[in-house]
Amino acid sequence: MKRHRLFLHLIALTSLALRASAAAGEVVVYSSVDDVFARPIAERFQKQTGIEVKLVPDTEETKSTGLLNRLIAEKKRPVADVFWSGDPARAAILKAKGISAPYQSANAADLPKLFSDPEGHWTGFSSRARVIIYNRNLVAAGQEPKSVFDLADPKWKGKGCLANPLFGTTSMHAAALFQMLGEAKAREFFNSIKANGAAILSSNGEVKRRVGAGDFAFGLTDTDDANSAIKEGKPVGMIFPDQDGMGALIVPNCAVLIANAPHAVEGKKFIDYLLTPEVEQALAESEAAQMPVRKGVKVPASVRPLDEIKPMQVDYAKLAALLDELARGFLKDWASSD
Amino acid sequence: MVSCAVLERPGTWRVIGITVGLLVAFAPAVPLLFAAGVQNGGGSMLGGNFGAALGRSFAVAAAVALLTVGIGLPTGVLAGLSDFPLRSFLLALLALPLLVPSFLWAIGISMLRTSSGMSATSFLSGYSGAVIAFVAVGLPLVFFVSLLSTRGISRGQADAARLAGGESNLFRHALRSVSPTAAVAGVLGGVLTLADPGPGQILGYNGAGFAILTSFAAQYDFGLAARQCLILSVLVVVIVLPVVVLLAPRFAASLLARDVAPFAPFRSSLTNWLAPVLLFSIIIFTVVLPAAGLTAPVLRDFPAARVAQEVRRTLPNTLVYAAAASGIATILGFALALIAGRERRLRAILLAAAVVLFALPSSFGALGILHAGTAAPATLDFLFRSKFAASAGLAMHCLPLAVIIAMRSIGTTSPSWANAAAVHGVPLRLYFGRILVPHLLPAMLLAALLCALIATADVSTILLLHPPGETSLPLAIFTVMANAPESLVGALCLAYLGGAAVLMCLAAALARFARDTS
Repeated sequence: MKRHRLFLHLIALTSLALRASAAAGEVVVYSSVDDVFARPIAERFQKQTGIEVKLVPDTEETKSTGLLNRLIAEKKRPVADVFWSGDPARAAILKAKGISAPYQSANAADLPKLFSDPEGHWTGFSSRARVIIYNRNLVAAGQEPKSVFDLADPKWKGKGCLANPLFGTTSMHAAALFQMLGEAKAREFFNSIKANGAAILSSNGEVKRRVGAGDFAFGLTDTDDANSAIKEGKPVGMIFPDQDGMGALIVPNCAVLIANAPHAVEGKKFIDYLLTPEVEQALAESEAAQMPVRKGVKVPASVRPLDEIKPMQVDYAKLAALLDELARGFLKDWASSD
Repeated sequence: MVSCAVLERPGTWRVIGITVGLLVAFAPAVPLLFAAGVQNGGGSMLGGNFGAALGRSFAVAAAVALLTVGIGLPTGVLAGLSDFPLRSFLLALLALPLLVPSFLWAIGISMLRTSSGMSATSFLSGYSGAVIAFVAVGLPLVFFVSLLSTRGISRGQADAARLAGGESNLFRHALRSVSPTAAVAGVLGGVLTLADPGPGQILGYNGAGFAILTSFAAQYDFGLAARQCLILSVLVVVIVLPVVVLLAPRFAASLLARDVAPFAPFRSSLTNWLAPVLLFSIIIFTVVLPAAGLTAPVLRDFPAARVAQEVRRTLPNTLVYAAAASGIATILGFALALIAGRERRLRAILLAAAVVLFALPSSFGALGILHAGTAAPATLDFLFRSKFAASAGLAMHCLPLAVIIAMRSIGTTSPSWANAAAVHGVPLRLYFGRILVPHLLPAMLLAALLCALIATADVSTILLLHPPGETSLPLAIFTVMANAPESLVGALCLAYLGGAAVLMCLAAALARFARDTS
């Protein structure tokens, strides 16, 4: 009899526990932000709200056919509720393919409109920037490259490198240069990069490693890569390029609500959380050393505030279409030719 | 009651069985092959530089096939014929490159190059660097296939060869006997490189794999990628089919009854030290040098707590995916090989299909399953959006290996076994349970083990198909490797390699226990 009662108690407790977890709900987040930075944020949200976060990480750096393809393939019956993109170009592609849904979070009110979709399909927050990483043993103090155009300068012949411009933030940077310079000048610039012997490497991480190892004097990468190399004690320095000219490309994170998301309510709550000052501060304090786009967020001394950097004045909403066109045409030929 | 003799007779059931089995194997790729016909992204039919990329890829594949067979075949045969100290340990070490995704090995070579101060144009980069990275992964495959096939030589055959011309004659005889299987493994190793963009990307060489990746990942043009895959597959068939047709009769192994008792190992002291020396040299080249590049950062800092957390989070799923994928691939592979039986035509078709399946990028089938899952009703999520779907996707990628091991293993059975069982009225079920399965069991275990290892290293499929929150350890490494500190990436790699090595040692111990107690 006692055993029977114990068994019933166990069933009751289990069903209560199950009901409790069901009440809190879950949210499926696909993220192209590096797992080491995204997971702690997801865990904080889970702790605060009780909503279980199922994080599906990816990284554009390692060139997977990845999450964006998964989102495209799952369009008719999505699994994901939120896409946490590491850059606006991927978010804009989702909008163009009808995979995202508009959502204007109340927490986005004090975020700059420049970094978000005017129709609310993606909202930008904490950002990285495209920077020059250089090897301090190979570049004398005061002689550092100061512009992306140094990749084509004969002074640096065979000494520069960049990641494959078909992928990741480098692709967005290429599209931004086409938007800023115009097609003819941009083509000329890319062709002269190649003529100047700059190496095309597999990823921004590879640029960081090879410059750190002294294979190349300098290269183009992202602030998080450069910061991690500095923290690892590599003999490298970081420069925000073209501060006297067109400025540095700012690459904000973007929160995207997926159309027909199975857990849309929880998805919106997660986006609300991503857009809080708390998350911007946490990402600034992480090894990614991301720059808050919102004014007034406290940042460590190693993180340069965004208002101290001259940004490239690009129209983020138009970059995706340009990128798509370039990936099918000029950049594809450029990257695959010897 | 079905007679056992049916196993040795031709019949339409064989054609139907092979057709159904291959349809199952290729089913995940069908949605994208269909897309190849109907979708046009607006660009050219195959992309501008695809022809040149194909040429480069086939050159790399040919170099890899030649090098892996040239080195792996004689070394595998010698190791199979010899008994030497630390044999199990050296073999386990040599298997390590099979356990890791190829891009990880390429990063190891790249790090080795930079840490040794070699220039960016040294032989460890570009075309030669890619060949070296692929050889490091393909060589163990040919080596182990050669070793296994050599172990399949019976005591009677070995004694006869020794009587006719001593140990050197036995070596020549074994080399001739094993070469068809090793050649097929080498071709598979070469074919496997065609659609793998990882090492080429990292080491600065762009082939067909990169072009397909670009279509998928940069242009999001499934139709273009599918057409490129289709062309690649057709070319693979055109090139490989004559080889397969030529080798199939010899690949079918002996049709005569066999004494399956193991032969005595080489008695010459020269060969008994030569084998470990050769093996050790290969291990230095394929394992020690790339692994040194990967693990050097760990010596500076070992983030034990973070590694333990990641391993705890991912290990159960890693084991589930590996076990389920290897189970599916092994059962399907042996079933297909059994259905093909000794029919030359069917064996050639099966082998060609296996090669084509190997040539398709793993993400191709995975995307097909994703499309099917999206089109299917939610009630079928347990089939298309589950750990089973991920495991099935992995299984289709390693199926060719299971098929090859199964064909070779079934070739070592004698037709007289089934015929004798039929004459004595032994039920088919009893024949399977008492004769056939126990005889095939070691090969089945080997196939399962190799498939589990290859499935574990396949990151693309898991990335696309794993249910949210159910990640694996290699995928965890893949997603942190770009930005995490080098010490964390290195430590995770070590944990992965260590875990796989422990599993392999366990499997070897189990196999030895089974052999000793049988």
